[in-house]
Amino acid sequence: MAAQMSTTKVPEVRDITRIERIGAHSHIRGLGLDDALEPRQVSQGMVGQLASRRAAGVILEMIKDGHIAGRAVLIAGQPGTGKTAIAMGIAQALGTDTPFTAMAGSEIFSLEMSKTEALSQAFRKAMGVRIKEETEIIEGEVVEIQIDRPATGTGAKVGKLTLKTTEMETIYDLGNKMIESLSKEKVQAGDVITIDKATGKISKLGRSFTRARDYDAMGAQTQFVQCPEGELQKRKEVVHTVSLHEIDVINSRTQGFLALFSGDTGEIKSEVREQINAKVSEWREEGKAEIIPGVLFIDEVHMLDMECFSFLNRALETDLSPVLIMATNRGITRIRGTNYQSPHGIPIDLLDRLLIIATSPYTEKETRQILKIRCEEEDVEMSEEAHTVLTRIGMETSLRYAIQLISTAGLVCRKRRGTEVQVEDIKRVYSLFLDEARSSQYMKEYQDSFLFNETQAPQMDTS
Amino acid sequence: MAVQCWEDLLKSSKKTALVHDGKRKIHYLFEDGKEMAEEYDFTTDDLLVRKWRSKNPLGAPGEWQIEIGEPFAALASLDSEMIKENFSNPVFLRQDTKTTFQWRIRNLPYPKEVFSVSVEPSERCCVVKTSNKKYYKKFGIPDLDRCQLPLDCSALTFTHANNTLIISYNKPKEILTLEHELLRELKKLKGTGEGDVDCKTQ
Repeated sequence: MAAQMSTTKVPEVRDITRIERIGAHSHIRGLGLDDALEPRQVSQGMVGQLASRRAAGVILEMIKDGHIAGRAVLIAGQPGTGKTAIAMGIAQALGTDTPFTAMAGSEIFSLEMSKTEALSQAFRKAMGVRIKEETEIIEGEVVEIQIDRPATGTGAKVGKLTLKTTEMETIYDLGNKMIESLSKEKVQAGDVITIDKATGKISKLGRSFTRARDYDAMGAQTQFVQCPEGELQKRKEVVHTVSLHEIDVINSRTQGFLALFSGDTGEIKSEVREQINAKVSEWREEGKAEIIPGVLFIDEVHMLDMECFSFLNRALETDLSPVLIMATNRGITRIRGTNYQSPHGIPIDLLDRLLIIATSPYTEKETRQILKIRCEEEDVEMSEEAHTVLTRIGMETSLRYAIQLISTAGLVCRKRRGTEVQVEDIKRVYSLFLDEARSSQYMKEYQDSFLFNETQAPQMDTS
Repeated sequence: MAVQCWEDLLKSSKKTALVHDGKRKIHYLFEDGKEMAEEYDFTTDDLLVRKWRSKNPLGAPGEWQIEIGEPFAALASLDSEMIKENFSNPVFLRQDTKTTFQWRIRNLPYPKEVFSVSVEPSERCCVVKTSNKKYYKKFGIPDLDRCQLPLDCSALTFTHANNTLIISYNKPKEILTLEHELLRELKKLKGTGEGDVDCKTQ
């Protein structure tokens, strides 16, 4: 029975109306761990890196617990070994309710704002506060929904929605956005829905019992509910999460017309922050709010300089601090802003506070798996031989280069009206686009014929 | 005693008065950050508008909530992105007279027999029901809530004319004396007259 169950497993329902673009890490849906935190070889878009994923899983549990403040983790490894993927996996596994702020180390350098201000804003964006708020909602059964398209085909649609409760009935005019979300949710007469008046969010509660005997093609999961009672508009308490930074911004706005002259620099006064901290802890004691420590992820952390690192040292010691995850691909290098060399370009005193997770290069089998997942994500069909060739390319050049070839080869294949990417397509794009090693080789051979080749440029310095 | 409570609160609030457009406009700022604004007709002393505003828990200023007077629905008409009530729907508003709290519900084209209005003393609200299930409304009387006075079934009456349902509730004598006193106090307030107001911040 159990075996049968697993074979007739319902295929994972994919949202057809997905409009997101495909990013470098959009195939990642979690860390791919089981309940005992043991990593599965291939799961949730993650492949290999078992030890580091397990380590990330332990960190994840610590974050979910929410008791420990100000811990920092460093993910270190060669380029293209899944550092960012692990961080994204943590973000996905945490869900939407826990704040996850991702930034790159170079983002903090701005003329508008000091480095430490940018860092403290990032820290506070990663701290969530769950708080109750009253909102106005409309809850009722749909009597009629009518959407008129203009005769010319263009222009705004006009819509009307009639809702009722057991006691009353009201007609609403619909705006464009509301019409779209109503048709996306496939709301029809007989559904019981709620609409959040402020955000316009629609949720279907089910179908009304009075419609239970209609002949209708409805799924097994259709729920029947009673028609709501009383007034259509109700005030309801909803719990939502805001970040400390959002509260800061709300309270730091200069009131009235003085705002015109204040010359907003985007910096938030430390007094405002202190006030908010005091208020939040007051709410917490009264049970009005709950603090949700989130995650701040700083990619390319070696781009931070000495001042930032010493700021981090201090910021990690406050109790309103999130779990900090950093990633770097540097070895022993110069700490930015000093002449000292240090592992990962991070001063030793900060390194001492970090838990370090190392990632290692992928094996051939793992590379093959990853490429397969990416093929699925990018909707490219690939023959077995082409896959083998691509895996070889991935091993010899880099994983990123091989991933780049997937969609380009897919395009070449489509242009010759093929349905499946063949070895020829891979060869074609491999000859069209140079990888980093071949490009450098080319440079060495033909450097003399390029412009400005006489001036020997010093070695690029990125640290 | 409770009446006293509300009276003290009113007295302790920071009041700003202004006569403009034939109306005496008064702004109250309470100690907890709540704001109340009232508008009285200058000649008849009728209360035309009373609205409230408070900050939401996060500290952002909220919208004005109208307690008495016409709701400014016209302002929201541009809000085409969302949802709004059709103009043919009943409009609920409060418009007091000297001796009664009065509510008007316009756009209710049903005969008088359809309506029933009752008081729910336990929930501290009045309920309007229609037997044809077209309209239903529960509303409280904030004036009585503030003074913690009980609701009385016998004080409530209603009439229906010109598609409008008019509900009246006779003001208890505590409220009458309170309002009388308040008006006298307000008249004493030295309001700034017509024209520009001095700006403290400059």
